[in-house]
Amino acid sequence: MERGLYIAASGMVAEQMRQDQIANDLANASTPGYKADRVTQRSFGDLLLSSSTTGQVVGPLSLGAQANAMVTDLAPQPLRDTGEPLDLAIAGDGFFGVRTAQGVRYTRNGQFGASAQGTLVDQLGNEVLDRSGQAVKVNRDGTVDPKAVGVFALTSAAKQGDNLFTGTAAGAATGAVRAGALEGSGVDPARTMVDMIASFRAYEAGQKVIQTIDDSLHKTATQVASVNGSA
Amino acid sequence: MLEGLYSAAAGMAAQQERIDGIANDLANASTTGYKHVRIGFRDLLYSAQGNGAGPTVLAGAGSAAAIVGRGEEQGAMQDTGQPLDVAIEGRGWLQVRRPDGSLALTRAGNLRLDANGRLTTQDGDVLEPPIAVPKGTTPDQLSIAADGTVRAAGKAIGRIGLLDVPAPDGLQPLGANLFATTAASGPASATTTATLRQGALEASNVDVGDEMVQMIDAQRTFEMTSKAIQMQDQMLEVANQVKR
Repeated sequence: MERGLYIAASGMVAEQMRQDQIANDLANASTPGYKADRVTQRSFGDLLLSSSTTGQVVGPLSLGAQANAMVTDLAPQPLRDTGEPLDLAIAGDGFFGVRTAQGVRYTRNGQFGASAQGTLVDQLGNEVLDRSGQAVKVNRDGTVDPKAVGVFALTSAAKQGDNLFTGTAAGAATGAVRAGALEGSGVDPARTMVDMIASFRAYEAGQKVIQTIDDSLHKTATQVASVNGSA
Repeated sequence: MLEGLYSAAAGMAAQQERIDGIANDLANASTTGYKHVRIGFRDLLYSAQGNGAGPTVLAGAGSAAAIVGRGEEQGAMQDTGQPLDVAIEGRGWLQVRRPDGSLALTRAGNLRLDANGRLTTQDGDVLEPPIAVPKGTTPDQLSIAADGTVRAAGKAIGRIGLLDVPAPDGLQPLGANLFATTAASGPASATTTATLRQGALEASNVDVGDEMVQMIDAQRTFEMTSKAIQMQDQMLEVANQVKR
């Protein structure tokens, strides 16, 4: 019976992680090129229960839930016009490449600017790369040629923060760069709010299970052996 | 669990910064030569959740906002008919010397004459190089050509230079329509691509409609993120009531 306490608790822990991910998604509802996450859950390995007196098989019992993976939805999002010449967006698949101190990283957030050296840089001053891995030049009039900006296909993309992804570049991607536009955030506010409520209720249900088991244990401890049947 | 509280709070702070930028833009919707700010967002670091979770389950730390530069599009030209009003067409700045001796750039071309007959900005910062108008010249007798040549009663007396920097986003705003060059903007140098138009002023390039939409978006996102904090708070409450 007390096994149920731990099973319920594992479900609550998994829901907490889902809430953390939802809070991060909502905080990035305005971040251009942000990709929404989803925490997937699975049950721990099943255990075959059998009666301790007769040895008769009762059936399998799961040991609760585990947040086993986080999946990032990399689907391209609608572009929105900003009219700023250095706002770039990729229509279709692919990533911008930027050169950071840790090596080349990839991003879908095209809120770029110009450096004093006349190169295209991201918000943190990392140089944006063209197809051949060189820095992109900004024209004297403050524009860039969208065709000059590299679009890279990426395998095993993983979030690193600061809009950057790590991953393995796999040649050019099919997406086309557009100037004067930004890709919207991948967070769907309505869906995320619903997920948040659903996750909260699941968490609450876990608490109720623990309380119920606690009640049963309390009765076991106080009433089972009582002579007059009352606690 | 507490990660979510703080990532949501970071998201609220980012939206707050955005609203501050929008408020400043709207306050300058009528400021001559003002350029609206571009607000950039980024997500923050991700860390492993641990606690029996799979290795790919990460907790994000929310988002941050920063001003990444200014929209450089041309503001609307407003004809004023005033001989000392000049509007800059194209990317360029007037250079002025401030009272403390430092140089600054401005796009606000509502000039005037000071007591010594020099052309200055509204705040009295003298154009650099200075252009002195001969005594007895009235503003109506001044003509300013597209290339900046100033003539008093037909006689050339100087030239208003226009400057450009490699990265305008790196200019440091000083207030009063003035900007200072920085290492990020690069040094200012003369430009020929921008021209002057006498008798006109460049209006602010703030698009009030767009700013309003941005404000609504920011406010709603702020609200949603605050809901995430409330939810985290309620979860803590639920956790506390596991033991009654």
